Amino acid sequence: MDQSRFLTRGVWLAVIAFIAGSWVQLAAAKEVPTEKQLLETLHSGAPADKAIACKQLAIYGSKAAVPELAKLLPNKELSSWARIALEAIPDPSADAALIDATKSLKGELLVGTINSIGVRRSAGAIDALANCIGDSDSQVACASAVALGKIGGEAAVHVLHQAYDSASPELRSAIAEGGIRIAERLLADGEKERAAALYDIIRSADVPKQRILEATRGAIIARGDDGISLLVDQLQSEDPKRFALGLKVSRELKSGEVAKALAAELATAKPERAALIVVALGDRGDSGLPETVLQAADKGNKAVRMAAVQVIGRKGNEANLAKLLELATGDDAELSQAAKAAVVMLTGEKVNAEIAERLPAAQGKALATLIEIIGLRRIEATTELVKALKNSDKTVQAAALAALGASVGPKDLTILISQLKSSKGSDAEAAERALQTACIRMSDREATATELASAMDGTPTATKASILRILGAMGGPKALQTIASAAKGDDAELQDVGTRVLGEWMTTGAGPVLLEVTKSPIADKYRVRALRGYLRIARQQKMPDAERIEMVRQGLALAKRSEERELALDALKRCPSAESIQLASALLDDSGVRDRAVETAIFIGEKIKDKDPAAAKTAAEKALKVAPPGKLADRARALTNSQ
Amino acid sequence: MNSRRFGQLSRRGFLKSSIGAGLAASAFGATPIPSSALGRDGAVAPSERITLGGIGIGNRGTYDLGCFLQQDDVQFVAVCDVKQARRDAVKKIADEKYGNQDCKQYRDFRELLGRDDIDAVLIATGPNWHATAAMCAARAGKDMYCEKPCTKNIAQSLALAETMKRTGVIFQAGTQRRNLPHFAFACELARTGKLGKLHTIYAHPAGMTALMSGWLPAEPEPNKEVVDWNMYLGPAAWRPYNAKLLDGFNFEKGGGLVGGGVLEWGSHCVDLCQWAAGADGTAPVEYNPPENGQVVTRYENGVKLILRETGWLPLGSCPVRFEGETGWVEAGDSGKLVLSSPELIAGRNVAEIDGYPATFHVRDFLDCVKTRSQPKANADAACYSHIACHAANIALALNRKVNYDLKKHEFINDAEANRLRSEALREPWRI
Repeated sequence: MDQSRFLTRGVWLAVIAFIAGSWVQLAAAKEVPTEKQLLETLHSGAPADKAIACKQLAIYGSKAAVPELAKLLPNKELSSWARIALEAIPDPSADAALIDATKSLKGELLVGTINSIGVRRSAGAIDALANCIGDSDSQVACASAVALGKIGGEAAVHVLHQAYDSASPELRSAIAEGGIRIAERLLADGEKERAAALYDIIRSADVPKQRILEATRGAIIARGDDGISLLVDQLQSEDPKRFALGLKVSRELKSGEVAKALAAELATAKPERAALIVVALGDRGDSGLPETVLQAADKGNKAVRMAAVQVIGRKGNEANLAKLLELATGDDAELSQAAKAAVVMLTGEKVNAEIAERLPAAQGKALATLIEIIGLRRIEATTELVKALKNSDKTVQAAALAALGASVGPKDLTILISQLKSSKGSDAEAAERALQTACIRMSDREATATELASAMDGTPTATKASILRILGAMGGPKALQTIASAAKGDDAELQDVGTRVLGEWMTTGAGPVLLEVTKSPIADKYRVRALRGYLRIARQQKMPDAERIEMVRQGLALAKRSEERELALDALKRCPSAESIQLASALLDDSGVRDRAVETAIFIGEKIKDKDPAAAKTAAEKALKVAPPGKLADRARALTNSQ
Repeated sequence: MNSRRFGQLSRRGFLKSSIGAGLAASAFGATPIPSSALGRDGAVAPSERITLGGIGIGNRGTYDLGCFLQQDDVQFVAVCDVKQARRDAVKKIADEKYGNQDCKQYRDFRELLGRDDIDAVLIATGPNWHATAAMCAARAGKDMYCEKPCTKNIAQSLALAETMKRTGVIFQAGTQRRNLPHFAFACELARTGKLGKLHTIYAHPAGMTALMSGWLPAEPEPNKEVVDWNMYLGPAAWRPYNAKLLDGFNFEKGGGLVGGGVLEWGSHCVDLCQWAAGADGTAPVEYNPPENGQVVTRYENGVKLILRETGWLPLGSCPVRFEGETGWVEAGDSGKLVLSSPELIAGRNVAEIDGYPATFHVRDFLDCVKTRSQPKANADAACYSHIACHAANIALALNRKVNYDLKKHEFINDAEANRLRSEALREPWRI
């Protein structure tokens, strides 16, 4: 180990802080003790220091540290700390030390040492573990079995096999776990036959059911297609645990033969199991749909049909469209909804075209369903949808309007604008929703906003209000300008809508507009709303501190009520500085917001006390004079005393 | 053994799950929200319920338990905690819910795991215990919902995924944002190319230094019936009892050396980034030391995952941002999405749910217990998102660039980083 490297490493301040106890914050270190110093600590330090030295040695310890660490293995308080280092030091002497310790340790300390041998996969530990597996302490024996499993190899298998006959039930379970781990490694190394053979031994052994299930899973996977018959056995088992295993494994095996096996099972399974088999088929990555799934969707148990419909949606194509549409227009509401969802999910290049082609000939419920699907899939079918707006069936009309909203392009926006202008009541609400859906989708937002603003001319107030709400949803400079004009205008209803929309604006651009509206000669309640929106932006949006403070300053100048002053105080917390604490302190004399002002001033003071102690102290002293007795006063006092 | 989970799924039981109504909603753009989660269906017969036990049910666990108790197909039957007060509190909740005295109490979770009549467990101990308890539960054949962070180091992350596969149990990490519609939609936009070719994704680790507990002065140890200090320490290296350490939230969460910020929140936000990048089975290969408040990491395909603490839109805690060549999206715990273009959400109805509830995540888990499908936050996904966090932590701790070999699962030419991949457990615990 290069000793000089110890001097340059940057992590150990953290660990030193750790030693110090209490809650500590880790940070990049300045100095790192040498291995020699750490070993001296191990030799003569306090237990807490020794513990942390072990953690340091886990990263920087060398062969030289091993003997000193090994001495701690019998120490109940420090054994686990020593193993942190011994597990990590790569030198083989660490293996030897752990193995050697198995000769003298007992109980849990021995268990821990064996566990560390397992983690290190110490190949030279087989004999020691063979000895320990016969220990009368069940924990020791079980740990040995699992450690052997982690190490693996023929010798480990032999020891496990030898121990099995005389093992307690608990040890047999651990032996099985060890064996499964060995089989897993064989499988990963491509030794499928050997793995399968080992899994078979375990699954026929007298071990707990969970181990048998694990071995059965392994035996199926190791055999691939040849394991499908074993998989089918699980799916046909009356034992629900085995059935569950079959479902799980059927998703893990990629072979298409598994899908065939599942499909075959589907044909004969009880309905409650059939639904789960269908779900498993749907989760697999196979292409194509088994005929049995299609048949399951058609008739029979409803749970199975629902599952099948959903799988068809995920894995089907245009070939399945007719069946799904038939179900979508059927009388069963749940099946109908599931089928519509499935159509929306369907992939396939011809799906959209085939849906659109069906539209002219469709009528009644089928027409409404098709239109709904057209909207959800956003299929271009404007001509037919406009025609449907005049359909005598209200359901068809509503579906067409919603579908137009979801599918029209910029050139057809006028259709929806006209629809809004000519609608009243609930029809107008639906038209507004459709137009908004369309507008927020347009790529040229400014052009769309301009078109909408122009459309307001000469329309009734209700239509103007609708358009303002749509502009609010769209955002952008033109929308902002249009809404601002309405908010400051003469029409009280538009003042209401305009200030409401501005109050929810998501960008800082609305700040100056809201300030202007606050100063305008409109009704008080709308000016208050605008001011609250202005202060919300100051509180929520990202902006430079100076800008935020200026916004708060201007807002406070206009605020007449405590509620708005409290909003301003909240905004100040986002930008702790001498300026913000001064603004907060100015409100300490305001009985309406005094407590909030105290809390804000102290909060800011605590943030800036190192950078600007004078400002923090001045504010804290002032706050202390008006603070209610209790925690706030204590914090204020602490601030005044800390400087 | 309880035989009611599989093979006896009733028609109503099926329809009430996400496979029925929920996935239909999914197809229309919403995250599956099963009718049962919304309280729309009737009671489920006790014989059809999933029997659940709780391990380490403190503040977070009590919240999770509340989500489980909302589900009519769950029967909570046992609680294990090292603290008597918590055992009593949880039993009271369960018994009041069911109007009986049936909830059994345990101090040692191995006794709870030994019960054949328990199907699944909720693991909500401190992070010190998560991986070890999860692997014990798996070896006992229990399905599990395990709170995050799920592991303390890279070796535990790999062992977790291997163990869940080997034992065939269902594992759901407590990263519930995977089942919230707006986060799921944001990830979908990135993963399916709607933002163009993805190039940079951002996670908010909420702190890139680590708080950790230490070896504090010894205090008189309470009666173990009141607080079982030995079981509380569990797999953590020994130290004397001190009441200040009885805060599972901060105890040894980073493997005893590094951790904290990146792991605590990264197990959520890095996990979402992994999902967005389609990287559930992989992790970044390059991790740089912190610079200008950022830790920059890079996947094999060149996509950058950047951990940063500032520069976010005000979308609440746990924000993520995904940037592609043609668009971007940002989402956070406010439930809101911000998109580079409204077009990205056109035609979709994405529910905006704030407060990051775990209800939908719990429902996903329960459905998967029944169907044996993989939950959204399955062990493989959790394994790699945790590896990403641990590797970033190691770059932070060593304050240098580290490169990770995904095939060998080791750092390239960096012995010191490699020694930080694992840490011995206190006897008698193993994974």
